[in-house]
Amino acid sequence: MNVVPRSAPRIPALWLLLFALGGLGTLVLLVLIVGILSGVIPAIVIWLGGVILANIAIVRFIVAATAILLFTIPTAFVIIFMELKVIAFMNLRIGPNRVGPWGALASVVHGLKVLSKEDFTPTGADPTVFTLAPVATFVGSVMAFMVLPFGPGLFGVDLNVGLLYFFAVGGLGVVGLLMAGWASFNKYSLLGGLRSAAQMVSYEIPLTLSVVGVIMLAGTLSLNGIVQAQSGSFLDWFVVRQPLAFLIFFIAATAEANRTPFDLTEADSEIVAGFATEYSGMRFGFFFFAEYVNVFLLSGLAVVLFFGGWTSPIPWPWPIHFALSPLESLIAILVLLIVVPVVASFLLAIPIWVIRTRLSFARAFAMGMLLFGPLATAAVLIYLVINLDALLGIIWFFAKAYVFVFTFVWMRATLPRVRIDQLMGLAWKWLLPASLVNLFITALAILVVHP
Amino acid sequence: MAVQSPSLDDPRVLVDTPAAIVDAIPPYAPRSEREAEFYALGDGQMLLNIGPHHPATHGVLRIVLKIEGERIVDLDPVLGYLHRGVEKLAENADYHHSIAYTDPLEYVSSLFNELAPVMAFERLLDLRVPRRAEYLRVLSCELLRVSSHILFMGFMALDMGGLTPILYSFIERDEMVDMLAALTGQRMLFNYMRIGGVNGDLNHEFLSRLGDWMSRAGRQAEAISTLLNENEIFVKRTRGLGAISRGQALNLGLTGPNLRACGVPFDVRRAHPYSVYPELDFDVVTADEGDTYARYLVRVEEIKQSIRIIDQVLHEMPDGPVMARIPRRITPPPGRAWAAIESPRGQYGCYAMSDGTDQPYRFRIHDPSFVNLQALVPILPGCLIADTMAVNASLDPIMGGVDK
Repeated sequence: MNVVPRSAPRIPALWLLLFALGGLGTLVLLVLIVGILSGVIPAIVIWLGGVILANIAIVRFIVAATAILLFTIPTAFVIIFMELKVIAFMNLRIGPNRVGPWGALASVVHGLKVLSKEDFTPTGADPTVFTLAPVATFVGSVMAFMVLPFGPGLFGVDLNVGLLYFFAVGGLGVVGLLMAGWASFNKYSLLGGLRSAAQMVSYEIPLTLSVVGVIMLAGTLSLNGIVQAQSGSFLDWFVVRQPLAFLIFFIAATAEANRTPFDLTEADSEIVAGFATEYSGMRFGFFFFAEYVNVFLLSGLAVVLFFGGWTSPIPWPWPIHFALSPLESLIAILVLLIVVPVVASFLLAIPIWVIRTRLSFARAFAMGMLLFGPLATAAVLIYLVINLDALLGIIWFFAKAYVFVFTFVWMRATLPRVRIDQLMGLAWKWLLPASLVNLFITALAILVVHP
Repeated sequence: MAVQSPSLDDPRVLVDTPAAIVDAIPPYAPRSEREAEFYALGDGQMLLNIGPHHPATHGVLRIVLKIEGERIVDLDPVLGYLHRGVEKLAENADYHHSIAYTDPLEYVSSLFNELAPVMAFERLLDLRVPRRAEYLRVLSCELLRVSSHILFMGFMALDMGGLTPILYSFIERDEMVDMLAALTGQRMLFNYMRIGGVNGDLNHEFLSRLGDWMSRAGRQAEAISTLLNENEIFVKRTRGLGAISRGQALNLGLTGPNLRACGVPFDVRRAHPYSVYPELDFDVVTADEGDTYARYLVRVEEIKQSIRIIDQVLHEMPDGPVMARIPRRITPPPGRAWAAIESPRGQYGCYAMSDGTDQPYRFRIHDPSFVNLQALVPILPGCLIADTMAVNASLDPIMGGVDK
């Protein structure tokens, strides 16, 4: 008979984790107790608080920059998913439906796939420029986000030359594309890079000129200021006063974002993938992140400049404002938390009990409490929407911006691509004169109305 | 002859200038005056190698473009990547087997590839085909012509950057291919035409599918044409592009919709009628411009004509057998025969020679795609890179047929 030696007792992984966390927690607690008792931690907190308060602008900037950098990733994922699903529906296909509900995680999986792929540099490519190109493109897009106001008070920085900064930094992307085209050592890439340079430089001009009318009406270059100039109802939006400018802006923005019908830089049926031909792995991913971030960015800019940014189309006619002192509001909140659920559950239970008399009142009360949950959540949300401008502003901003994102996707499903000479002709022969005419008319109107 | 281009035979070329690899310069000294001229690059010129694997070359066509910026100066189409020696293979198979070899030539319209050799063999045998079989041939061929033209519309849009039409066309093509599968037993390479008739008679599934389809015939084609015909971008890109004059088209030997778009009303179904086409009522669609848009419009219109033919065929189809009574092993008397039909791409001809054995002595296929593809060389210089795809798509070559 074989004697099987008894193995060491196996501890479940969960227990191990709990032990580890418990030990760590105890350690932290000890350090905290000692620190607080000896007065070291309060001193550090006071010192840190002082530093933060003294440099509140810098701290705000860092927090905003981090938030925006983090925000770009889900944005790109959402837009990629929209592109997959919306175009699929327009093509009478099903589209992604495997990962997540309605395939919603397909774009995330695409992102992970791109991460896990080989990062390949072709022979003959310039490795430094080749590596830096996607970074340059991505950084350009993300930096432009800093001045975009998402809601009242929700922006990275409120530059007084915000729009100028936006166009200047947004134009950086083309440098990355040109670098990619040049460094790839591939003719398709070179053609794509040069096409993007020609296209972006040409379309920057009508894009910038078309918004000069808006700047003149708002009297400021700050994007926040432009939004505030449009507050009121939807009749105050600049699209009402500058329809031609909006049209020019939208066409030029499509070209700026390299979207169909102006996606010549990556025209897959002509120059394979343009500047991205030789890219693989996450470098390729960065280009496409940048593209989708750009789509959202330009949609957001269109909303800010012409569609009132975070203002609602029809202002809420009954603004609710509470003017309570902190102590009063604390008492009020406590009362709300303790009294309201009980009373409301009781009130909700009564009709249930009346209708179904077989039910004991305790059960009816429980059902009332269950009913109270969603109702209370809805009430709180409605209260927040009415009362918190920031939340409402974000909701409006995103709703409007995604209408434009949808339009971009819709155009991609519908339109064929223009040719390079037609593209250039459109910019220089039509959009530029039209934006100049728009500028002239706006200036004249301002002169007549406010001499 | 200007500067001699660097030859890749020279090892230094590989080491010193890896650009030579990308330049698509062939690794041998120029073989002809034309080749030397083409590969000698002038100032500011560049060679761009498109294909053989490229999203928009309809298979494995390779086009070497000589470009100045975006403008094409000269081009050199390189063929033969899909050469399978079908003609030679057919000479070593008996008459029935050679039909199967021709089947995958123009793989989007296989029935036409079968019909021409079958007709040539029947002429060698001097065989009469039952009338019901003739009607079935016309019916299935016209269905496939509709499918092929709808696929053309989709690919044309795809090559010009439109994503959606191709999926609409594949919905329609899927339906038609399923329908034909009910009739013939296969979805793509039907092998339906037989010497002396066709493989199978009408059946219930085919007819119910066909009736269903006829009630909404061409709906997807309508959907695609609403996306394209009035689309400013599409029309601007195609109108006036790659125009071929009437004389030029005749000199090049173009046939099919490409020739009819130049104003020449030549349709084999009318000019040299075969099968039951003389009894059917249809129009030969022509256009005058000869440009890419005209080539597109002619095909769109031909879809409607084909649906008209299908309608007539269904009304007039007689009863009777679908195969002539012929022996399994056929040995035609020595002789030659030529049969030409109107395939979706033009005149598809087959020339067969018999030496009295059960295998064709010589078997030759005249493929319209091959002839039509020639038109690229005179019309593309002066156009832009993007036009290569539009023109190539409008000529509608199938590389399986070109390379044989």
